[in-house]
Amino acid sequence: MKYVVRRILALIITMIMVSFLAFAAFHIISGDPARAILGMNATEKQLAILRQEMGLDKPFLVQYINWLFGFFTGNLGVSYSYRQPVAALIMPKLKVTLLMVLISFVIIIICSLPLGLRAAQKSGGRLDWLRTTIVQLCMAVPAFFLSILVSYIFGIIFKFFTPGDFPKIEKDLAGAVRYLFFAAVCIAIPRIAMAVRMLKSTIIEEMEKDYVRTAISRGNDRAEVLKKHVLKNSLVPTITFLGQTMAEIVGGSIVVEQVFGVPGMGRFLVASISNRDYPVVEALVVILAFWVILSGTLADLINQKIDPRLKLGGRA
Amino acid sequence: MKKRILAGILAASMVGALLTGCGKGASQGTEAAPAQGTEEAAEAAPAAETQEEDATERAQANEIVIGIAQDLDQSLDPHYAVAAGTKEVMFNVFEGLVKYDSNGDTIPAVASEVEVSDDGLVYTFTLRDGVKFHNGDTVDLDDVIYSIQRCKDDPKVNPQTSTGLQCIASLEKDGDNKLVMTLTEPNTELMSLLTLAIIPADYDQQDTAPVGTGPYKYVSRTAQESVELEKFADYWGTPANIDKVTYKINEKAEGLIMGLESGALDLVSHLSSTQVAELNKDNFNIEQGTMNLVQALYLNNEVAPFDNELVRQALCYAIDRQGILDMAFDGYGFLIGSNVFPAFTKYFDDSLTNYYTLETPEAGKEKAKELLAEAGYPDGFDMTITVPSNYTPHCDTAEVIAEQLKEVGINATLNKVEWETWVSDTYAGRNFQSTVIGLTADPLTARSLLERFTTGQRVEDEEGNRGNNFINYNNEEYDALFEQAIKTYDDEEQTKIYKEMEKNLTEHAASVYIQDMADMVAVRKGLTGLTFYPLYVLDVSTLKWE
Repeated sequence: MKYVVRRILALIITMIMVSFLAFAAFHIISGDPARAILGMNATEKQLAILRQEMGLDKPFLVQYINWLFGFFTGNLGVSYSYRQPVAALIMPKLKVTLLMVLISFVIIIICSLPLGLRAAQKSGGRLDWLRTTIVQLCMAVPAFFLSILVSYIFGIIFKFFTPGDFPKIEKDLAGAVRYLFFAAVCIAIPRIAMAVRMLKSTIIEEMEKDYVRTAISRGNDRAEVLKKHVLKNSLVPTITFLGQTMAEIVGGSIVVEQVFGVPGMGRFLVASISNRDYPVVEALVVILAFWVILSGTLADLINQKIDPRLKLGGRA
Repeated sequence: MKKRILAGILAASMVGALLTGCGKGASQGTEAAPAQGTEEAAEAAPAAETQEEDATERAQANEIVIGIAQDLDQSLDPHYAVAAGTKEVMFNVFEGLVKYDSNGDTIPAVASEVEVSDDGLVYTFTLRDGVKFHNGDTVDLDDVIYSIQRCKDDPKVNPQTSTGLQCIASLEKDGDNKLVMTLTEPNTELMSLLTLAIIPADYDQQDTAPVGTGPYKYVSRTAQESVELEKFADYWGTPANIDKVTYKINEKAEGLIMGLESGALDLVSHLSSTQVAELNKDNFNIEQGTMNLVQALYLNNEVAPFDNELVRQALCYAIDRQGILDMAFDGYGFLIGSNVFPAFTKYFDDSLTNYYTLETPEAGKEKAKELLAEAGYPDGFDMTITVPSNYTPHCDTAEVIAEQLKEVGINATLNKVEWETWVSDTYAGRNFQSTVIGLTADPLTARSLLERFTTGQRVEDEEGNRGNNFINYNNEEYDALFEQAIKTYDDEEQTKIYKEMEKNLTEHAASVYIQDMADMVAVRKGLTGLTFYPLYVLDVSTLKWE
């Protein structure tokens, strides 16, 4: 219990630090939100009026504390670029990205476990080189290229979905899921490849350990040992890896969202950064930080359930 | 066993996807996808809609979907709008007393008639009968006076518009439908300024729910996703043909192209020649217009070595503009020689276009070397070209220029910056040596293109504002010409002076003027009526499905 409380506390502190760093970063990089809105021909007078309207005339720390105060009272502020409350702007984007990331995560789990197992079993076999090459290729292919390829093949040639015409989730959930499936595949492929490689090396490493040799030498079936002991011991690094994956695929979604024209969080984040839309960026950054920490914490908690030895680490 | 089969199938399908993927990717570049192949594939997957069906459905419903590369401004208020992309869309929603036709001339809109007194000081506008706002109200003189007054006085309005309107001394009603506007001094550019949008008096939601008098009314927007317009049934003029217009936003050109190919989009403007080359010509017509901007290598006239006129001239000789078009734009584009674009025919002076062009590019390079030696740089120098990284055409141009300058011993490095950084540091801060950018005219007047190079725009005014002379051009003769131009009320005479100013910019090599870029528009077959303007707008009201 104490452990959980500590994790939550750490989570809050990390989120505050991340939000502060993002805020500070904006004040260090060049580019002025007032000028971003008013454009090239803005006069000093126009800029001053707008800065005052947006509260940008106040000192940096005051701005940050105001924001922080608003955040804890549930007020995320108003977007500079849309003049709409940040929470209302972000919610629909969040839904889309969350759905896409979940689909992608499911694909990763379904594909990587059997493929990884097989790769480990057949390691050193005749086709090992082919498998390794494919895995390397899948890991190396840029998301941008992969997205174009998948849209082109499945969207334009086979017409399984219409690229550029993302249906609204509220109106057509099935259509949205079908559309997102293809985007999710593009996010998943490199991660699947990584998972396969990770699983293969973990299992092989485990298979070479003394206890396995002992078990086999005592006459146990090789496959049986793999199933009963090796897999169980490989589970911990796998779950940790999946936790990282959970966190990283959100980052991987940005480019994919752009090419597929999916109105998600990543695209919105990029646009808001270049518009210097601080309130939106702050909110998104905090959400992302939360997501990353949550993924890690979840993986840790699951691992502790699987392997009670790890609890020691939690208390230390 | 089951597991093994599953793994096998998955592995096979991945390899399969990858291999077909590579094959398609490679063939895409060399040949356009054959239409027949696509149709066969469509038959093979009957569950999915085909591109034809998608578009036909929309044609029957009388709707179109247009792809745009950027979202609209934070405020949809027409008087506060800044971004060209916002104006491009809202052109269909708002109108002024007068509006632009496709030649860039002003024609009556909310006003049906204009009478100008002989001394050019009194304008009498007759309000058109029964012009309605999108909210159903009829436009009256109060709305008109409110709109003009707001543009003149509100500090948040584009300064080029509000400064221009300062000549208005009074606005008075004469009966129910006549507006008498008295000026302090004649202003030949007043009509261009009066294209300003007429909006309902004291309506305070223009920011989010704009109301105008145009052929289309605003329906809704979704951030980073779409904007919707609907045909306005009570429009006073020729009604629009298409009932519903949806703009879909995708900041990646690849996404827009994909949207066209898939049938999600019907029309996309501002494409490059390389991008349209990827499209299947069986489904699209490609129309070519102009971007209506002045693309130049703008030189900071206050920073060495560009404070030396000889060096600037050397650059003009050394840079082979046709070479730029050939290398970076597949040969498309329109060469220019001064700060006016060709579509602005009234002021464009074609005799300046080839002022620095010799018989061959090599001769130009020789001449450039001579000038550099004369200026004291026989071995060339190092320079930096700052370019906003989001504008691919400007980056490409800068890259070709850097290559060309190497041949005369000038070592140019590119400094790619984010757009917001460009605006605040390069443009407003004038902290640069040279930059490639395209300047537009807004409002569409010679003044808005040429006043920016005067001393008045270079130095700080009483309020500490620095104007738009971001290249710090400093020429007394030019300043004198400008003073003369704004005091000249005879249109022909004034045009002549503005042309003198253009010539001055060319002769003193204020910058290296390159081109007005070609604007490629992909239009789905069956959709006709695309009209080009010498402005950055897309008139949807003339479009129709056949």
